[in-house]
Amino acid sequence: MNTEILSPSSPTTTMSPESEAPKGGNEAPSRRRFTALDIWQAIGPLVVCLALFALVVLRNPAFLSGGGPGILALQATFILLIALGQASVLNVGSIDLSNAALSVLSAMVLAMTLGSLGPLALVLSIGLATLVGVINGLLIAYAQVPSFALTLGTLGVLQAASLVISNATTVYVTGSNATLNPLFGTYFAKLPLAFWFSVVLAVIMWVVFRFTRAGESMTAVGLNEKGAIFSGIGNRRVKVLAFGLSGFFAGLVGVMIIAQGGAASSFGLGSDLLLPGIAAAIVGGTAITGGRTNPLLVVFGALTVALIPIASAVLHVPATAQSLVYGLVIIIAVALTIRRSAGTVIK
Amino acid sequence: MTSNVPSRDHSVSVDAPALRLTGITKGFGKVRGVEDISLEIRNNEVVGLIGENGAGKSSLLKILTGIYQPDSGTIEAHGKVVRFRRPQDSAAVGIGVVHQEQSLLTNLSVAENIAMTGASAKEKGTKFGIYRWKKINKEAESVLAQVGSTVDPRAIVGDLPFADRQMVEIARALRVDEALDVPPLLILDEPTSILERNETETLEREIRALKDVGSVIFVSHRLDEVMRICDRILVMRHGRLVADRVTADVTQDDLFRLMIGHESRAPKRPSADGLGAGQPVLEIKGVSRKGAYRDVSLNVLPGQCVAIVGTIGSGREELCRAVFGADTCDSGQIVVDGKETRNWSMRTAVRNGVAYVPAERKVEGMVGGLTAADNLTLAYPGTATVGPFLSPGARRKLVADWFETLDVRPRDPKLRLERFSGGNQQKVVLGKWLLAEQLKLLVLDHPLRGLDAGAAETVNAQVQAACSRGVAVLLIADTIEEALDTAHVIVVMRDGEVTASYDLSVDSTTAVDLLERMV
Repeated sequence: MNTEILSPSSPTTTMSPESEAPKGGNEAPSRRRFTALDIWQAIGPLVVCLALFALVVLRNPAFLSGGGPGILALQATFILLIALGQASVLNVGSIDLSNAALSVLSAMVLAMTLGSLGPLALVLSIGLATLVGVINGLLIAYAQVPSFALTLGTLGVLQAASLVISNATTVYVTGSNATLNPLFGTYFAKLPLAFWFSVVLAVIMWVVFRFTRAGESMTAVGLNEKGAIFSGIGNRRVKVLAFGLSGFFAGLVGVMIIAQGGAASSFGLGSDLLLPGIAAAIVGGTAITGGRTNPLLVVFGALTVALIPIASAVLHVPATAQSLVYGLVIIIAVALTIRRSAGTVIK
Repeated sequence: MTSNVPSRDHSVSVDAPALRLTGITKGFGKVRGVEDISLEIRNNEVVGLIGENGAGKSSLLKILTGIYQPDSGTIEAHGKVVRFRRPQDSAAVGIGVVHQEQSLLTNLSVAENIAMTGASAKEKGTKFGIYRWKKINKEAESVLAQVGSTVDPRAIVGDLPFADRQMVEIARALRVDEALDVPPLLILDEPTSILERNETETLEREIRALKDVGSVIFVSHRLDEVMRICDRILVMRHGRLVADRVTADVTQDDLFRLMIGHESRAPKRPSADGLGAGQPVLEIKGVSRKGAYRDVSLNVLPGQCVAIVGTIGSGREELCRAVFGADTCDSGQIVVDGKETRNWSMRTAVRNGVAYVPAERKVEGMVGGLTAADNLTLAYPGTATVGPFLSPGARRKLVADWFETLDVRPRDPKLRLERFSGGNQQKVVLGKWLLAEQLKLLVLDHPLRGLDAGAAETVNAQVQAACSRGVAVLLIADTIEEALDTAHVIVVMRDGEVTASYDLSVDSTTAVDLLERMV
């Protein structure tokens, strides 16, 4: 995890005097602790996000006054939550293709039970999503099915499940969803409460990765699974934990879907979050090869991904070519942040 | 002859030696690789190259195959001075190598593997990039026939027994040479170390047959084999060529002594006085694993260092991995501190105070992308955590203390471990285990591999310090000398079985005794 720069405890001094003249045939590693790449990896996502935002504001100053930031934050909330789960999974060297479908399913469960169970319905829907995530993790860890294949399967299963329970129609909230209204109805600093809520979660995730035993184990497994196992780290429980987190965040997205739209359907809000979620995690500096993520930067990754359609519109990119911009931004962002060296395995 | 092969000089005499080295020297910083090596390999001769691990055999082979460039000295092939800048250069003068680790692609057929090394489309048996199967299979068959092998060219390499694969590899190496129209020089790097006995005999026959075609350099640990196969034997020690003998004039005992040298150093081993007859930390009771080891039993007492010596294929690595739970055994019992370890995961082993320093440091020993500090506290974070949270302050102090104790350089725990030198990485890998109070058993698999003298000394001192605080140590040493220097008890393994056990506080064991039981 390359979060040293953001850490308040990280000393900014260079090396101690002994290191200047290593003796006894010990080869001196490069003097600099941080390479240019390290620094770019630490601030790149922020720079990309701000640059894109500045571009939009410069071309269209009305964006700021016309409630643009609010809309942007609303879009980014969904992407950020799903990306936080994805980043956890990517960090242990796996991938979760089922998270968006899971969020739709959990939104439906919430819609159907909110009237009868009230706040308990929240626990039920988030709990169910977490459970599905844990099951994903268990199958990957113990049946040793590669995560790509397994979650591709779960994706199909979950999509079918939501079609069946919704009868392929839109499920509206039974009763009132007044309890959830403040999420998108209340604004702090012109941004909806739900956005701040997910930013707080990102900070919590940052603490988990940076300052807990579990977070460190996840990063170690993502960097070198074998080395981690040989140090006594239980790689299986680490994978289960990561997928459990992904399920939990998918459950939260389900809550957001209902809070915003009051309804869920198999092809509606949330169903197309898979790719933006991966994109936000990657643009936010998460390594697809595992072992590197920073939830704080994923916030900017999510904002960037949410900004792309807006920026495309401002720049008068035809709607038909928007996915071109989308694709280019992702390729460039990843190419800029990935570690390259000769003779490594290319996936 | 094809156009991409350098045409032969007319001055090249057929009688010139296949290979002549004069004053070849290669150093690696302060580590000497090979020093002032001069030798000759004549045509139609089988020459044995022996020496302990680290004697410089591999460095010499790497020079002969263009992987290393010598600092000084000249190489002549068939009477002509040559310079090997890349492996292709040495192949171009007829030097073929069969490496210890096989380089065949196991998912392809025998014929494909042989065809693949061809340089031109004609040699590859392709037309417009498309394989002409009939031609390829037929050619492979004839190449194999030359080395007396009857392997089906259509067989998938992965399905073949090891000896057959070795023959395919030899045939492939020879084929490269044949295109050149010079007598080939084949280098076999410990080809028999992993073979079954009967497979070895087949290979021996093949090697003797190769004499009619060209010359062979045969690198081996097994002295009896070298004596049987080779016409002449070269002995290396500490990077130098110390003897060049005609096989008929030497005995195995002579060779032992030449390999190890006469000097014997004072033992550095910790005193055995404190060793009580207490409950053994590790009891291995009659464990077997098919293809690796059979019915092995041994005990390690608290504070005792037991070294297992043996060549590659003796099964000692597999045995040590089984103790840590990194490998399974078929039958028998491994008991650590009174607890049966069957079905232990590595996680459970670590929690029960078993530690393992693997030979493959970069893959298994460490997480290079994490900082040195993170690596130090990876296995036992208990000392630097508050509940589920890491405690940065406590960790910083713990890590600083251990950096001091282990003399890790540079003193920068926040640097990623992959950026430290090998010796300093190994100090951190060892420190990861040593900082735990609950450490009971330390399994060391080639702990000094690739370490310079300074780092090796630190690692040795730390292992001895662990011994004196009551930790049991099971050691696989790089060399016999290392085992004699550090262990209380030496167990000798050969082909998966324990052949001898010496208590060094009672027996005055020499390296010759050990080698005799190893090979």
